[in-house]
Amino acid sequence: MGQSEKSALRLTNVSKSYGRVRALENLSFRVAEGRFFVLFGPSSVGKTTTLRTIAGLIAPERGHVEIFGKDWTHEPIAGRGVSMVFQSFALYPHLTVYDNLAYPLIEEKRPREEIDRRVKETATMLRLDTKINRKPNTLSGGEQQRVALGRSLIRRPRILLLDEPLTNLDAKLRHDMRAELKRLHRQFGLTIVYATPDELEALSMGEEIAVMRDGGVVQIGTPDELFEAPCDLYVASKIGSPHMNMIKGKLATDNAALESAIGPLPFVKKLQAAEAGEAAVVGIRPSDVRFAGKGEQGLKANIAMLEPLGDVTIVSVETGGETLRMVLPESAASGLQPGQQAAVILDPSKFYIFRASSGRTMA
Amino acid sequence: MTDRVSFWEWIGFRSVGGIAEAGWGRTLVVAVVSFIYFLPVLFIIFTAIKPQGLALSVPPTLSPTSFFGLIPDQFVFTPTLDNFASVFSRVMTAGGQPESTGFDRFFFNSIVIASASVLLALVIGTLAAYGFSRYPLKGNDTYLFVILTTRMLPAIVVIIPVILMFRAVGLSGSYLGIIMLYAAFNLAFTVWMMKSFFDELSTDVEDAARIDGSSEIKVFFKICLPQVVAGLAATFVFGLILTWNEFLFALLLTGPDTRTVPVAMNQAVSSGGRGTDWTLLAAIETLFLVPVFLATFFLQDHLLRGVTFGTVRK
Repeated sequence: MGQSEKSALRLTNVSKSYGRVRALENLSFRVAEGRFFVLFGPSSVGKTTTLRTIAGLIAPERGHVEIFGKDWTHEPIAGRGVSMVFQSFALYPHLTVYDNLAYPLIEEKRPREEIDRRVKETATMLRLDTKINRKPNTLSGGEQQRVALGRSLIRRPRILLLDEPLTNLDAKLRHDMRAELKRLHRQFGLTIVYATPDELEALSMGEEIAVMRDGGVVQIGTPDELFEAPCDLYVASKIGSPHMNMIKGKLATDNAALESAIGPLPFVKKLQAAEAGEAAVVGIRPSDVRFAGKGEQGLKANIAMLEPLGDVTIVSVETGGETLRMVLPESAASGLQPGQQAAVILDPSKFYIFRASSGRTMA
Repeated sequence: MTDRVSFWEWIGFRSVGGIAEAGWGRTLVVAVVSFIYFLPVLFIIFTAIKPQGLALSVPPTLSPTSFFGLIPDQFVFTPTLDNFASVFSRVMTAGGQPESTGFDRFFFNSIVIASASVLLALVIGTLAAYGFSRYPLKGNDTYLFVILTTRMLPAIVVIIPVILMFRAVGLSGSYLGIIMLYAAFNLAFTVWMMKSFFDELSTDVEDAARIDGSSEIKVFFKICLPQVVAGLAATFVFGLILTWNEFLFALLLTGPDTRTVPVAMNQAVSSGGRGTDWTLLAAIETLFLVPVFLATFFLQDHLLRGVTFGTVRK
């Protein structure tokens, strides 16, 4: 993603607080035109505030919001070409599906024929054509969701903001809607900013993901970049399912191993820029932990718990007071029993090493 | 889901198809209790159609019909509409001609004063409530509390200063004066009622409208107001009932031209020194019930409908 791509949206050092609560703190990121950009983080990290700031519903105290090169920070909402789907859908309860879809066009004072044509097109595209005279409260959750989407798309926005749009849907519907959103994104070449606390949604839909914490962005990258090279403990613990195993300890005197409760964990190579004896954390993904084969020397462990998930099984093992999770194919896990003894091997080439004090990645 | 509505439901009667849910036993208990509550009203309506001499007869006459022999003949009276006619026109002096009683005027006054003051309070109160709900001031609750204190004093306490003020500015006995006074008194109630309805609305819906290009004025009129129609109807009916039945202010602040029915009723009954004409009084009361009854009947759908329409998942 070179800087040569045209920016649809750029936030620079945006800060906003509610009373004494800081909602956004020097938030900066840029979204290239046509990109599916995900704001990812647990609830109350400022995702919604970010979207509302972009939409113009909230005026930031400091910083700038640029949309297609123009500074909109202190401009009114209208004219931004931004539309938004709310977590609560926020349909107009007193209006029919038709009137909900027509509302943005009526506010744009479009001719009646054009409104009628576009409402019908949109309704057909979202398979709402048979529900057009219904009130929102008579629709299912999925249908309400599609009305909310349709109302946002009908204006042909330059940027579409989606605030946890799938949170209120059941699991099956969520899966279908993920596919539908990706399809809409491709079909319209829309720039999308999508806020979600759900890792699966972020990784499966996002072309670029901004991991947020405490009103700021911790790391921005593609799903692969975040998975392969998390910049700190926070990102490492949020991306990847099941979550990364974290083993606390101290660096050995030669900076080439971690002294931990489960024994020394030698690194592939010596760490640069580290102090001997410094507190550190080694992270390893559950998929990089395996049972020792015949003749291999592994860590002695107790199988604590098995969580069969169909084709894979998550196995928790206890060793030296730490619990490590590992992911095994269902076939490899069959026959295992809690309480069994086992030897496990942690692949040192897959270690993520973090400085305990700052949480930043050391290697 | 069918939207077909029978004629009876369409004019306002509610469906009676729900008996199965609660069962006949409970329905019967509620029916009996409702009947007991309704009995005084029924008695007044029956008295209104009794021949004049029978109002205080012993044993009392109970019903205009024997209900197929259910009620013994000595309790049955022959219904008449004479009492209603004499509400508007009757012989006032012995041997004289029937004269107009002015009650057509008093009913007109009651309707104009009650509806104008309630509507005025509704307009001002709804705007104020929206402000209190959406643009809270520093110490918002204090102001709301202060507004409510106007309703904490009994009317008898404030009536003397009000009379003096009305005299001083010449509002005594005028439509404008009594309408403004009632509106002021209804305002506190209206603000509180409507604020609670606005508080219930999802502000996301309003933000959606802002993003869709609506100005603040349009957000209020096109988005918020239609969602609180039930609240407007409820507030209107409750305000109407309070104002319609108000006696003390009307007694002291209306003149002969602006007299309302409760005041006129009192005077019609107590004048003449011939004792109370109960059948006439019952006829006035029956007529007096009609407008409020109709307003409540036609708005009951809104009164009973929930405020939240279920579009916002919380």
